[in-house]
Amino acid sequence: VKAERALRRITPGLTVAMAVVLVGAGACSSSSGKQTSGSAKQTISITLQGLGAETTETEKQIKEFEAANPNITVNPVVLSPDANTLNQQLSQRFVAGDQPDVIISDVAFVAKYAQAGWLLPLDQFSPNTSDFFPAQVKTTQFNGHTYGMPWFSNAEGLYYRKDLVPTPPKSLAELVSDAKAAMSKDSTLKEGLAFEGDKYEGSITAFQAFEGTTGGTLDPANINTPANQQALQAEQDTIYKDKIAPTAVTGWQEQQVENAWTSGQTVFAINWPYMIADSAKVAALNGKVGFTTFPGQNGQPGAASLGGDDLVISKDSKHQAAAYKLIQFLDTPAQQIERAVATGDAPALTSAFNQDLFSKASYFSELQPVFQHVVNRPVTGTYSAVSDALQTMISTALSNQSSGAAAVSKAASAVKSAASGSGS
Amino acid sequence: LAAQDRRFGYILVAPALIVLLAITAYPLGYNVWNSFQDHNLENPATIGKWVGFAKYSKLFSDNQFVPALEHTVGFTVVSVALELVAGLALAIALDKEFRGRAVVRAAVFIPWAVPTIVSAQLWKSMFDPQAGFVNYTLQQLHLPLAHTTWLNETWTAWTALLIADAWKNVPFMAILLLAGLQVIPRDIYEAARIDGAGPWQQFTRLTLPLLKPALMVALIFRTLSAFLIFDVIYIMTGGKPGTSTETLAFLDYKSFIINFDFGYGGALSVMMVLMALVIAAAYVRVFRTDTTL
Repeated sequence: VKAERALRRITPGLTVAMAVVLVGAGACSSSSGKQTSGSAKQTISITLQGLGAETTETEKQIKEFEAANPNITVNPVVLSPDANTLNQQLSQRFVAGDQPDVIISDVAFVAKYAQAGWLLPLDQFSPNTSDFFPAQVKTTQFNGHTYGMPWFSNAEGLYYRKDLVPTPPKSLAELVSDAKAAMSKDSTLKEGLAFEGDKYEGSITAFQAFEGTTGGTLDPANINTPANQQALQAEQDTIYKDKIAPTAVTGWQEQQVENAWTSGQTVFAINWPYMIADSAKVAALNGKVGFTTFPGQNGQPGAASLGGDDLVISKDSKHQAAAYKLIQFLDTPAQQIERAVATGDAPALTSAFNQDLFSKASYFSELQPVFQHVVNRPVTGTYSAVSDALQTMISTALSNQSSGAAAVSKAASAVKSAASGSGS
Repeated sequence: LAAQDRRFGYILVAPALIVLLAITAYPLGYNVWNSFQDHNLENPATIGKWVGFAKYSKLFSDNQFVPALEHTVGFTVVSVALELVAGLALAIALDKEFRGRAVVRAAVFIPWAVPTIVSAQLWKSMFDPQAGFVNYTLQQLHLPLAHTTWLNETWTAWTALLIADAWKNVPFMAILLLAGLQVIPRDIYEAARIDGAGPWQQFTRLTLPLLKPALMVALIFRTLSAFLIFDVIYIMTGGKPGTSTETLAFLDYKSFIINFDFGYGGALSVMMVLMALVIAAAYVRVFRTDTTL
């Protein structure tokens, strides 16, 4: 009975204590605190995503930075390479006040993080962005501030089989007829054009290639334009009218496009430059792989979707100076070239596309012209919602649920409200 | 003394209650709280702004919730009906005495032990239009549909999802019903036989009524988990074609994880909880009042 009484006395206290712990865990503990000078001894953290050659190279670059700045130790934090999972991990860290100092961000998401109030405007450092691709610089700008620095670039282009199509097509119509001609000549070819048609982020980048053929732009406030309707119609036609792309592309991401390409069953493919190196490992494709810009209007090169990563700093970082030092270091020409050679990722610095780079890795000279035509996906603080609405629009058309024009006009209000932040 | 005993009982269950409150009541309450506010991490300026029922009225006006609800209800009805029939047949077969029954029983239950995320991935590759097992088999057997791009059309995508879901959950249904079958005393069947009842009469007059408790448990479990279907959709279709296979749970995932919108996601979650409660209550009521089945 005594024990019971004691328990009874304790229980309310326990309940209160647990409640306090729970509420405390839920509340965020964000105190910005004092800044550490860039020359003081300190440890900063940087996010790394995934594994493989890119991470190995980043770790090597970090060692070189530490050697050059003995007072700074860089602590890598490994996060997911999947954009949605990464967003979730970052949001949890930010809400918990446990954010890394430097974050490697996909170009599509800098504005989202900036709008969420996670990022430090870099204006105080007066960053020099003049030597980067202007389209990529735009991905770092939001509400009149610069929130990041470009790190490496990516541009989606058109792969073509030099043995089947000696000169790359100058228009979409030419691409279609080239594909048909090659397919009728060689029955082992399964398709004329492979592209990312699954319902995911990559479907937007592939759609941008078709936008280049009609002059359409992805302005979320005004998606419903004739040029956009024609572009989506043209993309749909490759599957159902021209039949140069199989219906299976509606389930294809980069990996399946690469599988089709490296198996030698396709004439054209839309994909990122990494596939050049992977094709080189396939003996049957030796010397037959061309990479160029997707055709545009009036015989001109069209549009290449911009990918790549920017480097940003957490707003509540106590090591802003050191973090910016690391970013500057990674953006020096020597580091940009070293990384490009080791990983195959193109430099963000335009001046790094030089003889030094070409002599070490000749394929960058093939990429350079494509990078002249890069276009952005919408730069908006609610890009996730905008992207989701665009993916639905593209999927609706590619699955032949409606015409390209109908899909665009139907999606217009959803895209617009997603961009204005009132959508979900 | 009885009162003292009861009090001591309360004290003993208090820790469990506290944990339950912490992991279910607190998040649920927080969700309800959020659902009446603007709470979007992408819009820090408006977080905490009281908006009343705005998020709820938005559910019914934004052309996402209602289609997702229709998809969810349709999927739930069809999948639970299919799985009930198949599961019951399987349970009855496994209840019979035959050689190697233990091995067969174990083998049948293996799909249920495979994590959905894994089995969904397997089914996705089996439904691959070019390299998948399904189309290959159809072609070898000279059957129609051998060139179907399964996940590209609304009805074929749902068919693929139903098959993937049933493959995993029919065994689960069978386990629960088999347990129910095993507690039915055998001698009543003998008595029925002597009274001249045929197999069908035995099934409808004896097996089904006596299986009622097990049926209720199995149906409640399956209906609720079908109603909350997410993982198979997430892996196999991502909601495509268009938004034709988006369910409530998938929409909830999009609100929270992709759009960071805790207000809208909260309202959606509250609606899902309410609907789940209605489903559970309906089952309990149906099985309590209807004695003949």
